[in-house]
Amino acid sequence: MHAIARTFTLLGVDAHEVRVEADVRSGLPGFALVGLPDAAVRESRERVRAALVNSGFQFPQQRITANLAPADLRKAGPGFDLAIAAAVIAATGQLPDGALDDIALAGELALDGAIRAVPGTMAMAEAARRAGVRKIAVPAACGPEAALVAAGRVVPVERLEQLRELGTDGEPGAPQPVRPALGVNGASPPDLADLRGQPGLRRALEVAAAGGHSILISGPPGAGKSMAARRLPSILPPLGPLEVVEAAKVASACGRSVEYAVAGRRPFRSPHHTISSAGLIGGGNPPRPGEITLAHHGVLFLDELPEFNRGALEALRQPLEEGAVRLARARYSLELPCRFQLVAAANPCPCGSGPRSGQCTCDPASVRAYEAKLTGALADRIDISAVVEQPDLNSFREPGEGSAAVRDRVLAARERAQERDQGPANAELPAERIAIGAEAERLLADVGLAIGLSGRGRERTIRLARTLADLHGREQITIDDVEEALTLRRREG
Amino acid sequence: MSSEVSIWSLTPGEAGYPPGLDDLDPGRRPRLRGVGDRDLLAGLDPEVTATIVGSRNASAYGLRVAERLGRDLALAGITVVSGLARGIDAAAHTGALSRGGRTIAVVAGGPDVVYPARNARLYGQILATGALVSEHPPGIAPRPGFFVERNRIMAALSAVSVIVEAALPSGSLITADNALTLGRTVGAVPGQLGVRVAEGTNELIRDGAHLIRDARDVLDLLYGVGVEPPERDDPDRPRPPKRAPAPRAGPPLGHPLARVRELVAGGCATVDRVAVDGELDSREAAVALARLELLGYVAADALGGWSATALEAPE
Repeated sequence: MHAIARTFTLLGVDAHEVRVEADVRSGLPGFALVGLPDAAVRESRERVRAALVNSGFQFPQQRITANLAPADLRKAGPGFDLAIAAAVIAATGQLPDGALDDIALAGELALDGAIRAVPGTMAMAEAARRAGVRKIAVPAACGPEAALVAAGRVVPVERLEQLRELGTDGEPGAPQPVRPALGVNGASPPDLADLRGQPGLRRALEVAAAGGHSILISGPPGAGKSMAARRLPSILPPLGPLEVVEAAKVASACGRSVEYAVAGRRPFRSPHHTISSAGLIGGGNPPRPGEITLAHHGVLFLDELPEFNRGALEALRQPLEEGAVRLARARYSLELPCRFQLVAAANPCPCGSGPRSGQCTCDPASVRAYEAKLTGALADRIDISAVVEQPDLNSFREPGEGSAAVRDRVLAARERAQERDQGPANAELPAERIAIGAEAERLLADVGLAIGLSGRGRERTIRLARTLADLHGREQITIDDVEEALTLRRREG
Repeated sequence: MSSEVSIWSLTPGEAGYPPGLDDLDPGRRPRLRGVGDRDLLAGLDPEVTATIVGSRNASAYGLRVAERLGRDLALAGITVVSGLARGIDAAAHTGALSRGGRTIAVVAGGPDVVYPARNARLYGQILATGALVSEHPPGIAPRPGFFVERNRIMAALSAVSVIVEAALPSGSLITADNALTLGRTVGAVPGQLGVRVAEGTNELIRDGAHLIRDARDVLDLLYGVGVEPPERDDPDRPRPPKRAPAPRAGPPLGHPLARVRELVAGGCATVDRVAVDGELDSREAAVALARLELLGYVAADALGGWSATALEAPE
């Protein structure tokens, strides 16, 4: 007897179809699993055997061969359990003929026959829809997220015995997709009102949010660098409908809750500086998404930027440039999305107190080396540099302006930018597509002569000036916009 | 290096043995081995010599002060003695050399041993125009005890020892102790409270050391208050300019540029500070800074922190 069950396996954040073929014939009883299974998949045999028996199915005392096709793709993880069990059950005639014809299955089995959640059901459901599979059975816990992309096709299953109900009236109904829950887990993102005083830093954040510009915040410990960075998501526009799906797919693939993404919240990731480059950009075999993919459509915050491993920072360059990271493996290569806004924070010098504080005990050579690392690392990808000092809190008992008001201005600026049909955010716009007046042109030329302004510095200034004009609701870039941009811009090392 | 450089020596009792070292107890008078210009040491008058020492882990402020002291004392014809350590010592040597002045390094190992290695360039510069001496024979690597021992030589060579920055406790304070024991004058540069490398110097001042602000204060200790150093027959000696050239004045400034310039000159280094202290919004502050930078009144560092330039605003 022979049966086929369809399932999907996750590679990066996308799913690929895998067919489980089971063959049961007389011979010495045994259970062979072939088709490049990894250790977790091979252990699947024991789970399938126990779950079958405990769910009231017969485990055949015959020779069973299960093959995972395509045979050249390495199979990892426990997500194949359900499909393997279904194929074995079907091959021994315990399911009606054709019960598995039009359905894909994914899920991990518990020994008692319960079905456990697996990561990536959203990507699997999407792949099932694309492949024209009529239904996909997923663990009940994953039903709502799978329903986001394959409404009506999802069959949530809690126990292995429910396989008997497939295609009958007893089949579980399609689940409701995840709904945007207000105040996920009761916590709303931290509000900009907590940032008191520091008008320059607030302005820099607002400009960064309005134009999608990356920003470097430098200052001594306690000056509010990471506090400010963590508040950037609260003034960013909510995720758009397509962005919601992409961000949720990433969250689903990494086994994280999709609720934040569905609520329109942009992810905020702040990996520790000891992170490896594989942890940051993704890696391993099979490859797992890194922090930059988790930050897709959100904010990647690198605190203590110069402390990061040089290789990790270098590895960020290409993904920052392209909005996607390509990981090549011997048999295949895959692309992970990573369109994120970079926020970096750094102490002004190795000892942290800053060369201007009078407290600094760094010798000038190490300060220079530190600055070189700071201005060299990813420097060409950072538009704004904000320098902060410890604010005098006594003079600012009043809370600052709240996130909601700032976000309204940011949204208006982004709408203005979109009215120009320019496509990407201002930060991604080639400077030659931005019109500046003759007067501003002269000013930039003067600055070039008097202070020095590289080609990149000039383009950076023009992009920032465009965002400033958008924030002020003007189509025309004024001299003041250019001048403010000159102060905001990150300087060359 | 020992193969190419000739090593000379000065033995106690020998003609030309630095008179300052005669003040040490007979048993502690070192036989000096040196490289470089022997004439710098021979008969060296402590009254035209100043020792500048301080912390290895100096602050940027300390390094600036030490370099300026070395430079201005050298300009006044004073021989600058220090220990070639990194930090204050190196800055003092560098300052003296920058104006072609005389400087002597008293090193802890043999005179031909370059230590610390990072000061190899400075070693070469001193070798070319100054002198390096030690009480140890050539080829001897410095050992921990040597550093404390050589401090007495530095203290004895000059009439004034200036400590620029020192933590508590530290080797620089041992130099100060040695100087006091020998009846020499001790000066110290005041530092900011709460800074570790200022604790030792501030304590010296509290205990009665002379407060040193600039080379003038050191010269006052050597020659008496207000007395100019005697002119000596040395046509090559660099002379201090009578007065620093007056800073240029820039174009006139209106509101709020004049105010913002004052704030930056007063230490407001960030847009935040300028906006808050100048009661401007962030945009006004940023625009004003950009204009002032273009006019040359202020400059930004690599990260975008502001400082005032030497350009003065017209009245």
